[in-house]
Amino acid sequence: MSQTTAVLAQTDDEIPGIEIPALSVVDLWKRYGGTQALSGTSFQLAVGERLALLGPNGAGKTTLIRSMCGRVRPDQGEVLLSGQSIRNTGVLQQMGVIPQDLAIYQDLTARENLECFGQLHGLRSRALRERVKWALHWIGLEDRANELTRRFSGGMKRRVNIACGVLHRPRILLLDEPTVGVDPQSRQRIFDMLDELNQLGTSIVLTTHHLDEAETRSDRIIIIDHGKVVADGKLEDLISSTIGARRQVVIETEGILVAAPPGMTWDPLRNRFVCYVDDVVEELPQILERIQRVGGVVRDLEVHQPNLHNVFLHLTGKELRE
Amino acid sequence: MIFTVIQTSWRRLRNNRSELFLTFIVPVVFFSIFALIFGSRDSSSSTPKIKVAISDSANSSVSEKAIAALAEQKSLRIADRDIKSVDRAQAEDLVRRGMVSAAVVFSKPENGAIVDGRPDVEILTDSFDQMASQVLTAIVQRAVMTATAEIAMDRQAPSSGVVSASYLGEVSLGLPPQPKFQVVDVIGGKKTNPVVAMYAAGIAVMFLLFSATTASGSLLEERENSTLDRLLSSRLTMDQLLLGKWAYLTIIGAIQMTLMFTWGATVFKIDLLNHLEGFAAMTLVTSGAAASFALMLATLCKSRMQLGWVSTIVILTMSALGGSMVPRYLMSESIQKAGLWTFNAWALDGYNKVFWRELPLRELQTELAILTLSGFAFLVAARLFAVRWERT
Repeated sequence: MSQTTAVLAQTDDEIPGIEIPALSVVDLWKRYGGTQALSGTSFQLAVGERLALLGPNGAGKTTLIRSMCGRVRPDQGEVLLSGQSIRNTGVLQQMGVIPQDLAIYQDLTARENLECFGQLHGLRSRALRERVKWALHWIGLEDRANELTRRFSGGMKRRVNIACGVLHRPRILLLDEPTVGVDPQSRQRIFDMLDELNQLGTSIVLTTHHLDEAETRSDRIIIIDHGKVVADGKLEDLISSTIGARRQVVIETEGILVAAPPGMTWDPLRNRFVCYVDDVVEELPQILERIQRVGGVVRDLEVHQPNLHNVFLHLTGKELRE
Repeated sequence: MIFTVIQTSWRRLRNNRSELFLTFIVPVVFFSIFALIFGSRDSSSSTPKIKVAISDSANSSVSEKAIAALAEQKSLRIADRDIKSVDRAQAEDLVRRGMVSAAVVFSKPENGAIVDGRPDVEILTDSFDQMASQVLTAIVQRAVMTATAEIAMDRQAPSSGVVSASYLGEVSLGLPPQPKFQVVDVIGGKKTNPVVAMYAAGIAVMFLLFSATTASGSLLEERENSTLDRLLSSRLTMDQLLLGKWAYLTIIGAIQMTLMFTWGATVFKIDLLNHLEGFAAMTLVTSGAAASFALMLATLCKSRMQLGWVSTIVILTMSALGGSMVPRYLMSESIQKAGLWTFNAWALDGYNKVFWRELPLRELQTELAILTLSGFAFLVAARLFAVRWERT
């Protein structure tokens, strides 16, 4: 056991009532040639918690995920599952990994895929049969169990993909964009499945490009950028610690303005003015008056409650897909 | 519109390096390889020589002269053995085991008396190499006739040293009796197996390699769609994954070979049933080595497309050099030697010993050992190449 592991394990053992985190990412560093992919990433996942992991493209998300499932050897730092290093034999069995790609054999049936991955996770005979039966029921494909998965729709393939990673009852489930290319109904179905697992005690780490998924389907959100954690907390905490309770006001105008209205910024991409207000009722009339004073006519007006998108933009300066 | 289609196709080709390589470079590479293999026969230094064993139990003046003449022939390579000590049975054994292409046996006539130095002459041939037996027969006939004539001249020449016109007339008319001359096909003559057995092995080994490399591409597919990540996140280790794939490819290869030879036995009368032991041994090690070779190529390549063209080049080259396309005895000496570095040559030699020469299992030791060792070496290489996929 490494020094870090030993210290963590010892500390948790010594303090009664403190639960060992399901997952601890401790000061991960990783460099590929001239690119620093991870720069001291650290966070924890509590038992039964649902965590959404966000970051713009190139932020180091993929390297972090691959480090967590043992597929990347970090230059420094450690990943612990229930206080044990993933480098220890058998520890990774506590984790279920659902890759972004469809990592199933499309020339096998749904049942054959489940049997294959169940066996590779050590399930045999009766236990295997029972788990395969459960999984087919869980993903709602009992009636198509013996069909080749290449004939399935995208959503059905995704469900088989997820089921193959949970057959061995992992305590932590790592899902890398599980709903990519999936229609809204299938997305709903997938999240219902994940909620069911979570209620049974499975801790979940989810990466996604759908901010609504992160907002509604997680207990906590982590945003990483340039290989380190730039925000970690519940949605409301993130909003209050970044943007605060201020509302965003977006105004589209007509006519030629002789100058920019005071206190407003111009969004050249969308041809509109943006400003933030603490009290909408009190400040909005003043804003409209300022626009009229410089010759503008208000064509449209929107007032937005702060959301994860604003937080993300505020912290990274980028849209999620950039 | 047609121009747009042509232009777009050309641009796509231009932007795809692999396809560009396959289209313009691979044909030139292949041309060069095949020109090297089959074109170098013109070079006098490497023209294939007929390997011959000679047995001289007659120990006569004609046989000695004829052997001396044969030794000077550039197209023959006399086996490095003491000619006096090789009897007919040993010479036949050398031909049967493929150690030599043919043997020339000088023996005393049946009545035991050698008249005027003339022995009986037998040429023991192997119809596997029909060209060699025909060429050798012509060369031996000329050497023996010349030797006979010279001996006769020596005996009848006047002691004064003056050669009379009548004497020259006798010699030129071929009056001296010629030795008894016989050509015996020691393998093909009594064989139940048609020549097709040899070619079945050649084709089977080439296709075994192709199918094994195609199947081994599943490893690259698994890597490309993250299934490899998922597999290695389970209890499965890379050692187990490779061994599992190797065992599978070996079994499939063995079934494939069995299927081909069974078909050969049914339709082309290959005598499979009487050679089951040798066939099983050769098929097992050949399939195992082919599986290892395929896995080595798969772990060496970065994508299925790369595996496709690398395996095509390597397998066709090995098949050409190793005798799967054209028998190796037709190639120059240097290319025949180069062929020994290929997988196919040893596999074909082994099958040849089983079906054509009908040799017992113990005679396959060299082929079995080389194929087993090379299979092991390929598998170790595959494991080393796969290290980069384990943890980065």
